[in-house]
Amino acid sequence: MSTTRIAPASQRERALGGLFRAALLVSVAVGILTLVWLILSILIEGGPRIDGDVIARFPSSNPELAGAQSAIMGTIWVVGLTALITIPVGVGAAVYLEEYADRERWWNRLIELNIQNLAAVPSIVYGILGLAFFVRGFLGLGQTVLAAALTLSLLVLPIVIISSREAIRAVPDSIRHGALALGATQWQTIWRQVLPGAIPGMATGSILALSRAIGEAAPLVLLGGLTFITFNPEALDSAFTVLPIQIFNWISRPQEEFHVLAAAAIVVLLVLLVAMNAVAIFLRNKYQRKW
Amino acid sequence: MDLRIRFQEELSELESLALGGLDLACAQLRRVLEAVEHRDVALARDVVAGDDALDELYCELHERIIALLALQAPVAGDLRLAAALLHVIRSVERMGDQCVNIAKLIPLDGHHPPTHPVLLEELGVMGRLVCAEIEQSKRAFAERDMQLARDLIHQDRDVNELNRRVFQFAWESGEDPDAREWAMHMVLAARAVERMGDLAVDVGEQLGFVLTGQFEEFRDASHPSPSDAAPSV
Amino acid sequence: MSEPVVQRPVLAPDAPPAPDAPASLGEPVFRLRGVGVAYGGTPAVRDIDLDVRANEITALIGPSGCGKSTVLRCLNRMNDLVLDARVGGQVLYHGQDIYASHVDPVEVRKLVGMVFQKPNPFPKSIFDNIAFGPRVLGMKGSMDEIVERALRRAALWDEVKDRLEQSAYGMSGGQQQRLCIARALATDPDVILMDEPCSALDPISTARIEDLLLELRRNYAIVIVTHNMQQAARVSDRTAFFTVDEARVGHVVEMDATERIFQNPADPRTEAYVTGKVG
Repeated sequence: MSTTRIAPASQRERALGGLFRAALLVSVAVGILTLVWLILSILIEGGPRIDGDVIARFPSSNPELAGAQSAIMGTIWVVGLTALITIPVGVGAAVYLEEYADRERWWNRLIELNIQNLAAVPSIVYGILGLAFFVRGFLGLGQTVLAAALTLSLLVLPIVIISSREAIRAVPDSIRHGALALGATQWQTIWRQVLPGAIPGMATGSILALSRAIGEAAPLVLLGGLTFITFNPEALDSAFTVLPIQIFNWISRPQEEFHVLAAAAIVVLLVLLVAMNAVAIFLRNKYQRKW
Repeated sequence: MDLRIRFQEELSELESLALGGLDLACAQLRRVLEAVEHRDVALARDVVAGDDALDELYCELHERIIALLALQAPVAGDLRLAAALLHVIRSVERMGDQCVNIAKLIPLDGHHPPTHPVLLEELGVMGRLVCAEIEQSKRAFAERDMQLARDLIHQDRDVNELNRRVFQFAWESGEDPDAREWAMHMVLAARAVERMGDLAVDVGEQLGFVLTGQFEEFRDASHPSPSDAAPSV
Repeated sequence: MSEPVVQRPVLAPDAPPAPDAPASLGEPVFRLRGVGVAYGGTPAVRDIDLDVRANEITALIGPSGCGKSTVLRCLNRMNDLVLDARVGGQVLYHGQDIYASHVDPVEVRKLVGMVFQKPNPFPKSIFDNIAFGPRVLGMKGSMDEIVERALRRAALWDEVKDRLEQSAYGMSGGQQQRLCIARALATDPDVILMDEPCSALDPISTARIEDLLLELRRNYAIVIVTHNMQQAARVSDRTAFFTVDEARVGHVVEMDATERIFQNPADPRTEAYVTGKVG
């Protein structure tokens, strides 16, 4: 009579397993360590100028007196306006595509295909588009905050649509059916059950979108952001500049002090980014659903 | 599917065992009537002992049918068959008891009671008729033949007529107390045989329930029809 | 605001019954005549003729894929949600065809409630789950009272009255399903449709829900699709047996009092199914 024994794992199996784990660990380490090194070097370089001045002062040809307030406010205005435009439009489009559109119709399938493509278009192309239609041409807004926001909205709209659609899809059909079977209309079902359930995903997607927008320089250069702006935007038709452009401006100067200023401005940009993310995480946690 | 097959096989086996009980009852009847004819006390004792087999059959089948109901929860045709088999085994067991009743009469008369040949002959005829009835009820049930089952009532009328004649003869059996005593016992025996015939008809009625889900009495004791007076054999 | 087209008939307490309306016990709430459903051109069920009576539990049984759930979904127009579903024939609710062109499916669903196979409470509190229906329907009255009444009817009030604000997801599966039943009752329908309501539950929860159904029968007409024949036998008053024909299209073979279907069915196909020889 043979006894049943649990065979020990072979040496080779264990070695391969360990090797695999090590490889994965290295991947994680590379990503994190690079990021940490970048942030640390920026902090070190910008250290001397990370103070109230960089926020309080306006650009000047004298590095001692320069600050980035106009760029900071410009960024806040432009990105804020972008959020106001792109989030409702993107969520609305996502709701239409997921809840109302008939997938069999050819035009809906065309729309689906093109949204994916639009997300891959280089941002400079949007800059050209904005220049032609928003700044000059059809709308003739000039080099204003509004034109910039409209352009950036188009740029990040595909991201908002795609992530919102994913979030809406993640709401199980059983919830929709449950609501409809009670006699709710489609609109009531979406507004009261689907959208609240999709908020976490949509918040994450919006932050992804705005994170992209906040770092854009090239299209905004085309739209007229590269000027020596020493005032904050006050209205939708104000001229503007944004942090990435200001940073680029300062990096291009020969003086070393301007490079330090640029590093400080990068830190400010990162802080803004983290603040935005915090808002999104807060929203996501508040509405988190466990299906 | 295996479970279902086992269930069907079990139900079939229970049916054939129950119907097999009818054969045993028939055999008991033949033996006990032979014992009556030859005043064979030893044979009578055998018949009484042989009833144990019928009682055991009843117990075993009863237990197995109840288990089937509990574990398999049969419905529709299967349920009706299981319910009918419970009745059939009860009828079989009662047939056995009737044979025992007859057997117990035999030693009471001593070894050489006065006999009346005509009475004995009538009793013998009744026995053969009832055996045929039992066999027919078995065949009708096994083959699900309702015609055959209904026909039982006609044969049973013949048996009833013979029973009345036995009573008549016994009534006119004369002055001798021993003869009279024996004749009374014969009346009791004839009654037992007639009961067995009724039980065979019951089996036929159960077939009706299996087939139609309705329970129909083949004859109604409170409304005897004119044709109950059967022509003489 | 115009009156909804589909209405439950309202009878004055001492009015004589309408000429062709039978007595209220056993009056057909639904009559299906020649109903057929096709998905994308492929027929799923055909020639469905059946009645659903008030204050009765009607069970739909049969092997998988023979259209029982399809027929159930015809009764509250949930088939409309399937993109290429076409429904033919007449589905009469208190004499009105709910598939007539002027009928809004939303109105139908307010009167015909549904409970699904897997409990699907909303990710909200117990109170908000029950209140959802009345709120979207704009029902008048105190929401507290409406919620309490629904929970009492579903035999759930005593268990949850102290934790109405807690998430519905903290309940056990059996409780969640009773919550879904209460939710359906809150809109005051007169028919409740149930699609295998106990198939995801343990035997004790199942037994409690079956007891609940027998209670609810006093006030509602109930239609239940079930694979569990013992359940259909225990609980229902009338049973319809479905099967598929050679073309794989579902239809009703036999519909009768439940006692008859399980003791002495008329059709051999029904006999074969209930005794387990088929399906």
